[in-house]
Amino acid sequence: MSQLNPTTLLHKKILIADDETDLLEMLCSVFFRAGYTDVLTASSGEETLKLWREEHPDLIILDVMMPRTDGFTVLKEIRRTSRVPVLMLTARGEAEDRFTGFENGADDYLIKPFLPKELLFRVQALLKRAYPEPERKVYLAASMVDLEKAEVWKDGECTGLTAKELQLFEKLYENAGRIVTTGTLCSAICGEFWQGYESTLSTHIRHLREKIEENPSKPVSLITVKGLGYRLFTEEDGK
Amino acid sequence: MNQIERFFRRYILSTAGILILFFFVNVLLLIAFLTMTDLYNNTNSKAFSIEEFAEHLSYENGTWNADAQAMDMLESKNAWAMILDDSGQVIWEECLPEDLPRSYTVSDVAVFSKWYLDDHPVRVWTIDGGLLVTGFPPGTLVKQNFSLDISYVWVLLFSTAAVFFINLFLMLYLFLRNARRVEKAMKPILNGIRDLSAGKPVGLPENGELAEINASLNHAGKYMLEKDNTRAEWIRGISHDIRTPLSMILGYASEIEDTEDLPSQVRHQAGIIRKQSEKLKQMVADLNLTTRLEYSMQPLHPEQIDPVELARQVITDYLNSRQTDGFSFGFSEDNTGDNFFLTGDRTLLVRMLGNLIQNSITHNPEGCHIEISVGVQKERNTKKFDARCVVFTVSDDGKGMDETQMGRLNRPEKSGSIASDTREHGLGLKIVRQITEAHHGSIYYSAADPHGLTVTVTLPCQAK
Repeated sequence: MSQLNPTTLLHKKILIADDETDLLEMLCSVFFRAGYTDVLTASSGEETLKLWREEHPDLIILDVMMPRTDGFTVLKEIRRTSRVPVLMLTARGEAEDRFTGFENGADDYLIKPFLPKELLFRVQALLKRAYPEPERKVYLAASMVDLEKAEVWKDGECTGLTAKELQLFEKLYENAGRIVTTGTLCSAICGEFWQGYESTLSTHIRHLREKIEENPSKPVSLITVKGLGYRLFTEEDGK
Repeated sequence: MNQIERFFRRYILSTAGILILFFFVNVLLLIAFLTMTDLYNNTNSKAFSIEEFAEHLSYENGTWNADAQAMDMLESKNAWAMILDDSGQVIWEECLPEDLPRSYTVSDVAVFSKWYLDDHPVRVWTIDGGLLVTGFPPGTLVKQNFSLDISYVWVLLFSTAAVFFINLFLMLYLFLRNARRVEKAMKPILNGIRDLSAGKPVGLPENGELAEINASLNHAGKYMLEKDNTRAEWIRGISHDIRTPLSMILGYASEIEDTEDLPSQVRHQAGIIRKQSEKLKQMVADLNLTTRLEYSMQPLHPEQIDPVELARQVITDYLNSRQTDGFSFGFSEDNTGDNFFLTGDRTLLVRMLGNLIQNSITHNPEGCHIEISVGVQKERNTKKFDARCVVFTVSDDGKGMDETQMGRLNRPEKSGSIASDTREHGLGLKIVRQITEAHHGSIYYSAADPHGLTVTVTLPCQAK
């Protein structure tokens, strides 16, 4: 797990708030084992707000049902002045509760019981999004993509990416190693009303392959998953 | 027309049939009675006919004579006879009582021919040269004399028919009105009973003659609803309370499983604890969802959904996040280019397809190929000519399902209990059925060719 986390992210300060001290103990253990070095805990809403004001954590994991001041109230208070990433970790799994959480400004919502790995992946994704690396370079089998400059370096030559190609690549990179459906990719570059855009997507994918692959007709980094979508393999993922 | 309406229509029709039957039976009885009376009169030897009697009289040598048969006829009826000439004088008589006059004026003849002669009922018959009169003992015959205007006769006939039919229609009308009133009073009660059996709330007006029954049904409905809510809340509470302890079991088991310094046996055992905890987690979630769907406590959050993309995302989620060793997936779109969308709750529909895929995985531990297809077809059970429905098919080439179980799952009626259709396939397929019904769709299980299971879910959709 730790190798997936850039070192800078592992030094981020994480505040975990839950009224179950046993759970807090377990979560601390999970985060320390994953390589995180700065983990704070709070067992009430008031304590959470106090630590947030004093310690300025980089990410907050917040339970909903805490005595006196509940998680939603704490979140509302935080959101009055701060955009710190907040992940709600709660036993309240109904759709209405999730909607309430997102309406109040939660960045993610995980329902108990959960697998520690899932929590770590979500925290990592939130941190990546909130604190992007200054230099974002993606190494592929035959090329390197500089996301900041929207450039592809292949065989010593530099090619520019169009805005759509960059959006497409970023979406694939966010989910590197995982299948991304045609609809998700279309909506990433066209917005909500993407229907009928599938053929244009194929054209963008073809152009992208011409820029990143050694042999675009036999792709090894940007793979088609028949009927479903596409999958990007970076050098980090391996195969 | 529902079952209750059918019952009342049948009741009304059968009663109308009974009335018509009575009418025809009475007409037949009347005809039979008249025929019998006529037959009686014709065959009765004792009947006296003055016309026949006149045939047995003869006029010879200036005098009238009666033969023996005529005498027998008079004797059998204890009757008498006389012949009057044109001046009213008796010119022949037989057995004529002494106290009766032997001469009659025209007015006398006119009176007795219509009524009685000194209380003797008489009959008259015109013969050559006179008037034959036969008389009977007083009180043996009733004589009525009446005359009617022909137009009045028609009115009378018409009125009689009119009275008969007015009575008939009035009777039918009153009967139908009463039947309708009973139906109107009973219909809400019967609907209430039907709602009760379906577990729906009952709210009947507590007034009128049947107010007590309505109140009882309302009370029963409220009681059942409270009971259901209590049960649902209890399950919800339990499933909620179990989440945090289960998180810790899952967390620590995962930690132990991932600690490389520990003996492999301990890590293996921790892995078993983790897997079983995950199963428990799924069961808790399923139990909570099925209870909420069962008692209509799960609000739908409808949105427009691309069915093809929905299926893609479910399969992709499986391929991205789960161990699918031994299983291969195929996806096909039957109507490429047709743009249709579903209106439904995305989370629930994802759950529905996920459960169907999980069902194939769970029941084929040795592995199988799972093929998912999405198509659009014309909706059969609707009058709208352009109504379409989207068809999701999840098919595997595994060991399949026995016919008894398939038949049970294909039964259209609601089981009403969690236990009834979860015996062998857990809550997963029950949830699939509940989600399908919540989206006004249908589900059908069939055997795949050459082996395996095919599940077809049909949901209404609209053109984009």
